[in-house]
Amino acid sequence: MSIWLVITRKELLDAIRDRRALLALLLFPIIGPFVIYFMFNSIVDIAEEANDLTLPVVGVMHAPDLVDFLSQSGIKIESVELETGANDEPDVYSQSVLDHVREKIEDRTYDFVLVIPADFSLKMAESRSVNVELFHESSRATAQSKVSRVQQTISFWIQETASLRLMARGINPMVVSPVNVERIDVASPQARAQRILGMIPFFIIVAAFVCGMGIAVDATAGERERKSLEPLLVNPIQRTSIVVGKWMAAATFSGLGLLLVMAINLLALNQVPLEQLGLSFSISSVEVIGILIITLPLAFFATALQIFVGIFAKSFKDAQAYLSVISMLPMAPLFYNIFNTEDRELWMSLVPMLGQHMLLADVVAGKSPPLFDFAVAAVSVVVFSLLFIYGATLVFKRERIIFS
Amino acid sequence: MINVQNLHKQFKGIQAVNGVSFTARDGAITGLLGHNGAGKSTSLRILYGLLKADSGSAEIDGINVMEQPQRAQEIIGVMTDAHGLYPRLTAREHIEYFAHLRRLDKTLITSRVNQLIKQLAMEEIADRRAEGYSQGEKMKVCLARSLVHDPQNIIMDEPTNGLDVMTTRSVRTILQDLKQQNKCILLSSHIMQEISALCDEVIVISDGQVLMQGGLDELLESTGESDLEEAFMAITRSGK
Repeated sequence: MSIWLVITRKELLDAIRDRRALLALLLFPIIGPFVIYFMFNSIVDIAEEANDLTLPVVGVMHAPDLVDFLSQSGIKIESVELETGANDEPDVYSQSVLDHVREKIEDRTYDFVLVIPADFSLKMAESRSVNVELFHESSRATAQSKVSRVQQTISFWIQETASLRLMARGINPMVVSPVNVERIDVASPQARAQRILGMIPFFIIVAAFVCGMGIAVDATAGERERKSLEPLLVNPIQRTSIVVGKWMAAATFSGLGLLLVMAINLLALNQVPLEQLGLSFSISSVEVIGILIITLPLAFFATALQIFVGIFAKSFKDAQAYLSVISMLPMAPLFYNIFNTEDRELWMSLVPMLGQHMLLADVVAGKSPPLFDFAVAAVSVVVFSLLFIYGATLVFKRERIIFS
Repeated sequence: MINVQNLHKQFKGIQAVNGVSFTARDGAITGLLGHNGAGKSTSLRILYGLLKADSGSAEIDGINVMEQPQRAQEIIGVMTDAHGLYPRLTAREHIEYFAHLRRLDKTLITSRVNQLIKQLAMEEIADRRAEGYSQGEKMKVCLARSLVHDPQNIIMDEPTNGLDVMTTRSVRTILQDLKQQNKCILLSSHIMQEISALCDEVIVISDGQVLMQGGLDELLESTGESDLEEAFMAITRSGK
């Protein structure tokens, strides 16, 4: 058996018995799918809730035409009865009535209330202008889409009424509406769902960093902290074998974490009601293999970096401090890709993780990434990994590292 | 057989070892005696190939440690002054790990590990994890893993430091056994009793220099003292 394999086997045995390391390996992969699952469901909920709209109205009986129009547009009307004797058909509601409505919104009985004054029909008949009041609370994010739908529907009615009035006077309604703005909303729930799908590559990349870290730290800084490094180095073995052995052990965990994250994410996606958003996400086994080939080198890259950094650290605490900074690295490609609007360039493929992130984003979006970029990104990650391991070996040969 | 000639080693301007020369022969226990910081550990670390000497030579059975550190490491067993164990591995797994690192044969490993466990009376802890071992139990594991390849030369840095009487005695018995097998044993200590109870030869080292090497009797004779402690004090005084 090769010496590096002896070391890998020992580190793996050691790690499997380490509950903390195992917990990190098993817990992290579950977090991502949970986030995705709940975000998806909340988007579906918001989309559904907007369709299912109930409008509380004060003074329903004063504007039967408007109320009919609203219910025909699919808005359910709930008549709000005020106990303060406010329904005694006053022309204008008193301040106490309005306060009462406000209270109802503040105590969350309603998110919004439409108030129709008693003289509505009268003023309409005289072709005069009437104020209706739409009370709402703008800080309630979920209610906003409903409020704007109510407002929009009322606007339609107003336009219709205005057109009728003009026609009654022999004027073409188009005279007063020289321009019609038609809004077409592209930022549909589908678009938002797509953005969430875009998080999956991110989770996979982070998994590469999180799942191997415990073992990488234990095998480097841990070895120094518990003073087991010197006895190990007294054996007639190459330092390179030791570093490679430890690296492979950490990469094994990292790779397993990747696989778990992928498997669980794909399972979670199957549970999400994607069809309700008009989205279809079907992933073939070819794509799964593609994602694996793209991401597995990251397991080696992430752990090579961690081993390299871990060797400088004298203790777990040191190593954790250094590596918590490095754990921010996987975020970089995500942020870059959010703000980046340019096309893909060669240097992006050369940057570890950024290249992989772009490839993964392609696969998740259903495109097959260009083979050339794929190869460039893979080669770049391998070269960087080997550089880190070579560096780690050089550091490991220093006398200072052994005895301090 | 260990032969050290004129070793020099400097750390950041401090001369830790300043011309150390000595020999340790087969079939004898040689003790390196000196204060803390006298240069004992540094000399030993050069000898087992973890430190590079600035000048001088160190040979083990004729193999130059500076030129062929790995070949030299193959024929020595080392108990370093760091006694770190892996808390989640058992005693048996510790010994097996080092046996595998030394490329021993599979069948040989099993018999050798069992033999060491028996010899060091470690049956009780053999399959228990190292977490919670007593100082003595830890020391036994360290000793066992450094002897697993049955080396001809054995180097030990403060082997009985912090051990209770029982364990100290069993370590002594093992060292006497090894001596009977004609092994070359070199150990360092700052405890006079330890040296006088175990060693055939004593090397007195102070401020990175060897002040005297000889048998116990020779040391006492040359200083005219009756016990080693007094002799040691006399030698280090005259050395300065």
